[in-house]
Amino acid sequence: MISMDTPKQMKAHELKPIVQSVSLGGSGHKPVRYENIEAIRRGEPIEPAVHREMRSQDGVIKVENFKLWYGQSQAIHDVSMDIPRGAVTALIGPSGCGKSTLLRSINRMNDLIDSVRVEGKISLNGSPVYAPSVDVIGLRKRLGMVFQKPNPFPMSIFENVVYPLRIDGERRKSVLAEACERSLKAAAIWDEVKDRLKDSALGLSGGQQQRLCIARAVVADPEVLLLDEPCSALDPVATIKIEELISEISSRYTVLIVTHNMQQAARVSNYTAFMYLGRLVEYGPTAKIFQTPKLVETEHYVSGRFG
Amino acid sequence: MSDAAAPKSPATRRTLPSAGGEPMIWLTGGALVLCILMILGLVSLVLYNGSRAFWPGPIAQVELNDGTAFLGIRTDREEGTATTEPRALYRVGNRDIGQESFRWVDDAEVREVSYPPDAVMLERLAWGVWFGIPESITAKDEDGSESVLASGMDEVLEQYESLHRDARGEYHDAQTLRDHTLGEINHKIDSIRLRVREKELEFATAEDRPGRLPILVWVLAVAGCVLGGAGFVLLGRRANAYEIGVPGGIRIGRFGTAAMCVVLLLAGWIGAPWRGGAISETELQSYRADAELRERDLLSEYDRVLADIQAIEREDSRVRFVVNEVTGGRFSPISQTENTEPMRLSQVVRMVPANRLSTGQRFGVYLSRWWEYLTTGPREANTEGGVFPVIVGTVLLTLMLTIFVTPLGVIAALYLREYAVQGVLTSLIRIAVNNLAGVPSIVYGVFGLGFFCYTLGRYIDTGVARTVALPPLGWWFLYLAAAVVGVAAFALGVWSKPKPGEPPRAFNVWMKRLAWGAWVLTGVLVVLVFVRTPYFDGFFAARAADGSPTFGARGLLWASLTLALLTLPVVIVATEEAIAAVPNSMREGSYGCGASKWQTMRRVVLPGAMPGILTGAILAMARGAGEVAPLMLVGAVKLNQDLPISANAPFLHADRSFMHLGFHIYDLGFQSPDSEAARPLVWTTVLLFLTLVLALNLIAIVLRARLRARMTRGAV
Ligand SMILES: Nc1ncnc2c1ncn2[C@@H]1O[C@H](COP(=O)(O)OP(=O)(O)OP(=O)(O)O)[C@@H](O)[C@H]1O
Ligand SMILES: [Mg+2]
Repeated sequence: MISMDTPKQMKAHELKPIVQSVSLGGSGHKPVRYENIEAIRRGEPIEPAVHREMRSQDGVIKVENFKLWYGQSQAIHDVSMDIPRGAVTALIGPSGCGKSTLLRSINRMNDLIDSVRVEGKISLNGSPVYAPSVDVIGLRKRLGMVFQKPNPFPMSIFENVVYPLRIDGERRKSVLAEACERSLKAAAIWDEVKDRLKDSALGLSGGQQQRLCIARAVVADPEVLLLDEPCSALDPVATIKIEELISEISSRYTVLIVTHNMQQAARVSNYTAFMYLGRLVEYGPTAKIFQTPKLVETEHYVSGRFG
Repeated sequence: MSDAAAPKSPATRRTLPSAGGEPMIWLTGGALVLCILMILGLVSLVLYNGSRAFWPGPIAQVELNDGTAFLGIRTDREEGTATTEPRALYRVGNRDIGQESFRWVDDAEVREVSYPPDAVMLERLAWGVWFGIPESITAKDEDGSESVLASGMDEVLEQYESLHRDARGEYHDAQTLRDHTLGEINHKIDSIRLRVREKELEFATAEDRPGRLPILVWVLAVAGCVLGGAGFVLLGRRANAYEIGVPGGIRIGRFGTAAMCVVLLLAGWIGAPWRGGAISETELQSYRADAELRERDLLSEYDRVLADIQAIEREDSRVRFVVNEVTGGRFSPISQTENTEPMRLSQVVRMVPANRLSTGQRFGVYLSRWWEYLTTGPREANTEGGVFPVIVGTVLLTLMLTIFVTPLGVIAALYLREYAVQGVLTSLIRIAVNNLAGVPSIVYGVFGLGFFCYTLGRYIDTGVARTVALPPLGWWFLYLAAAVVGVAAFALGVWSKPKPGEPPRAFNVWMKRLAWGAWVLTGVLVVLVFVRTPYFDGFFAARAADGSPTFGARGLLWASLTLALLTLPVVIVATEEAIAAVPNSMREGSYGCGASKWQTMRRVVLPGAMPGILTGAILAMARGAGEVAPLMLVGAVKLNQDLPISANAPFLHADRSFMHLGFHIYDLGFQSPDSEAARPLVWTTVLLFLTLVLALNLIAIVLRARLRARMTRGAV
């Protein structure tokens, strides 16, 4: 089996002394206690603060009591959340808290790792993701995924974009050309590459490569777009471009995006979920999470005072 | 603040004199220079000796103190030492008059050395070179009278060109008729006789040939297979109930049905109940009569062509060339037994009046010798003539081995790296493959001879011996068992997969072991099915019965397969490395697009690994092209009449033996009757071999570079 090069970070609670977070009230304010965080660090289950607005949503992806282990160590603890249809949902949280793992659980990329074991349920538009009858390849065809590092294939730009169609056996030149143009335009890179579609994709710049990967992810009209820190390898200008792109395509697709950049989450997303050490801590509309969160941990995390 | 925290004074640390490493620089540099010098020495030695062999040196007339004299070309010289005299080596040719073709002469014996302008060196079709002074070219007429066409050196030189061209033309015509037209007729006669022999064999063995499958049994088998296929489809439908999962069930169903279809088709082909029985006695008789008639026609045609050839040869043998040797005055004879007749002009391949040639003309001779060397076949036990068949053999062998080894190695490496579960077994296989690269190549030769030629080849030729073959019923049982066990192995394999997101349980582990066991059993059964079938009598039984095996002997196919085996580790290791070097992020990207493992492999991993794979193929090719030892066992020969490619179907005759440059060098150097004469050719052949291997490598490297460039920058 292939071993994936997912970062193997140390568990945060093994490293940091617990004192740091006990009472960091900021300058002059009265000290606050991170009760939920402390509970999580002690390994106790907590009740996630899910805002009322989330209950009334129509969920494309429903995660129910989902748990995941890498071998002996548990990376996701009993997460339940619904991803609303036709909106951008951001996953935030400190490094190693299981955001990527959760994202990759949705299109079962974790199957590629031998030691992974899961419990609980995930469903995509009502159909179960983890059931013996599920055809994994068919499932992945319903989702588009963009990775942290741009990963174009060693072929031409055109072939890169139409790859999902090619593997589905599409051969008609006109259909492929049309789909290629449409998704390159959707990914806001058409003007830059329209004259060099036959050139190798490896010759593009990092930002262009990432937009190419987005074009590739949307070419087959996925039900949900999964983005795992799509801008982390890019400079500010390219980042802005991709953010605009996300806002733009969010009218057509449901987007689930992992990000470390709070401004980015605030700018592009409609809903935000805050995770910590494999647990969901708070989940609600982005505006509320950033302005009037229920938990003090969330408030401090999004303003950079903790985490 | 204490003093301890203060920085140490510079004086407490010092730089050792040895830190500069001056001696090491000299040592490493010296080692590199030594390596380069050795390689340069090798190349320049080969270049020097290989390229000078064909240069026409001046012909010396050496008069000795005892009054005798000889003509020759000096090829070597040894300065004297305390115990030996200074001496020189002359190429003197003229083997017909009973002398060695090379001769050492001490300087002290020599009275005078001169360079007579009339001296020529004749390169002849047989018996090596002849040194002498041309006297005349004569023509015998029908009535036996002789007329002189040219006499004296000047006239001979004037007339030689046109007369020689005519004579050689006639000789060539006769030779072409002999080789091609007669050869074709012979071939036809042979194949007619072979056909008759086949029919006779078929008639003779009709008794102990197993009967065809009775129609009833056959229908039952068909029904069984159809039912089996249907069962698999059903299993696929209900797969969830057995915890196999629908996709797994569908896979089992598909595989089972496909396997059943294949088994059925094969059984139909082998058992063919509708096919007629063996031929009857009368059929055989009429076939024989027919063949005889056709053979008679061909024989009369043969005689006609032979008469034509003899007419040409009679005409050809009229023109004679008298070239006298200096001491005895004897001329170059027409043949060893008739040394009273001067030679035919057409027996001369080339006349070199070396002492009269300008540098330009010498260069012309030099080039024409190279041309002859590259485009014609060898003569005189390989010591003269060219190496065309040798080049053809080498190139064919190298290409075939590359064609065999590359796909095989790449596919094997693909499985090993991408599909096989990495564990003890794969590590063991890797170690074994790496060790395979260290096995002495002669061992592969022995294996090739023993397995490919004598086991596999004989099987293809003559099939299964009656004593080994099973009775039909038993064999059909074996056949079905193999099919059933194979399908079961596949089903068990699919069934053993744990549920998604769950670690394997004991059940899964045991199912998997069972599946592996079933696969091994299938392999054994399949081998048994082949080895013990009563239905296979070989493809070339008639020829083998005549004592000329087709594939059951050494040949190009087996040699290239042996070398493919020898170079397999190179390809496997290179491919594995290349595949491992394709970043996992690309694979993930492909899976994320909904590609299957195979699609990922074919469309992303393989293209990404292609430059590395090609590097492996190049290395394998280079290794295989330079290998000689195993070839001596499995197919390279000193001389072969028929090239392994021809204009007749099937164009590539992989069963034929071939000549190979490496073996040719060995043969020239160690096996030739006249090692001094062969020595220059050894160098030339070495030069050629080196150039050929380098050229093949260069082509492959250029191909790879272009591919790589296309991959990273240019258009795809
Ligand atoms: N292949 C793996 N094998 C074992 N443990 C893993 C593997 N991949 C991730 N983990 C562990 O699972 C936990 C969650 O990892 P994950 O990659 O999901 O974090 P993340 O939130 O995406 O972090 P980041 O923001 O740094 O990308 C980490 O503790 C990590 O060490
Ligand atoms: Mg991550």
